[in-house]
Amino acid sequence: MSEADLILYIVVATALVFDFTNGFHDTANVVATSISTRAMSPRIAVTYAAILNFAGAFISLAVAATVADDVVVANVITPTIVFAGLVGAIAWNLATWYFGLPSSSSHALIGGVVGSAFAAVGSEAVLSDGVIGKVLVPALIAPVLAFVVGGIAIVVCYRVLGRQRPGPVTRGFKLGQVASGGLLALAHGTNDAQKTMGVIALALIANGNLPEGADPPTWVIVSAATAIALGTYIGGWRIIKTMGTRIIKMDTAQGFSAQGAGSAVILASTHFGYPLSTTHVISGAVMGAGAGKRVSAVRWGVAGNIVTAWLLTFPAAAAIGAMTYGITQIFGDGALGPLVIVAAGAALTVLAFARRIRQGTPVPAG
Amino acid sequence: MIPPAEIVDWEALLDTGIAALIAGVGVAFTFSLAILGASRFIEASRDQRTIEAGAFALLGVVGLIATAAAIAGGIIVIA
Repeated sequence: MSEADLILYIVVATALVFDFTNGFHDTANVVATSISTRAMSPRIAVTYAAILNFAGAFISLAVAATVADDVVVANVITPTIVFAGLVGAIAWNLATWYFGLPSSSSHALIGGVVGSAFAAVGSEAVLSDGVIGKVLVPALIAPVLAFVVGGIAIVVCYRVLGRQRPGPVTRGFKLGQVASGGLLALAHGTNDAQKTMGVIALALIANGNLPEGADPPTWVIVSAATAIALGTYIGGWRIIKTMGTRIIKMDTAQGFSAQGAGSAVILASTHFGYPLSTTHVISGAVMGAGAGKRVSAVRWGVAGNIVTAWLLTFPAAAAIGAMTYGITQIFGDGALGPLVIVAAGAALTVLAFARRIRQGTPVPAG
Repeated sequence: MIPPAEIVDWEALLDTGIAALIAGVGVAFTFSLAILGASRFIEASRDQRTIEAGAFALLGVVGLIATAAAIAGGIIVIA
């Protein structure tokens, strides 16, 4: 095995760890509304979301193509640059998870890769047209769109069902949330798992294992789907609480509207290859469904904290990605740098988890 | 350097917005109709208003089918 192949294996493993943390960090958002309205028990909701995240990863490859081809110049990228970008994203994901903030894994990933590419090669390595046109502008529009769709959807629901007895309406929307929650999980798997596929494809292109513009191989799709599904199943209670109960106190109609709006925005964006933040979209939809009923029902202070985390994500992940690349270069161009970073990262993660366990497990919402 | 306004494919973004709006609001509307139909069907059946019950049952079924069709159609378009 050559040293280049060893670096590639490290990158693939790191990408799958990122995918796992993405599921761990993000997918809780998907089930939060179902849990907070008691449409599903936490365990069932999480299992259901994990299965549908896995299935969703097989639906489309448009987002993977955007990440692999439209963010950085593939022929000047090395697997070490991709590795450093992934470390930037994972570090930011874990930090925001630790503090219970639903920031964007997608922006962390793209920010990390852009930061490390910039540090390694310079501005010519970054496809600013792609970053602006396919990532940053859609990132700004998507949550606003989800807010509008969620707001209109809940107004429509209340208009149609205004004078009905609450019992059957609540039961009906609880059943509806089984479908809308499933659809949201499917949409999440479709958009988010593809980002990891795109990054692994980028590393394979950089190492000469895949021609530019080619679709990710099947093993990449299956492994990315599995990693995000496992991450979904295992983690995320702390963020469930933020998403499901702190932004607004929802009824089942609002939960259904938020999930439907979020699914519609994510699926439509996926179709056009936009690697948007599912966290941003779901937060926007939840706030829209809250504001559609009563503007003061939304706890805008919490929403403000989330927006702050969003704003910090891209530059913070880029800075960590750039710094990580710099550290790897202290050990030369070989595999030693990435191995040292992996060892240090693993040690820090174990320490953080040990501290979290000592503090006690966060209580699930609902 | 290309101005940022020209970098963005506004047409694709507009299509995304319209598709999301129609799908998100449309599904909320059709599913609300399904619940309305089911709820009023129960009331009308209890009061033995057979024709009204039948009409609301039909509304409920149509709403449910439209919701399922919209979801399935959306997934097929993406795939």
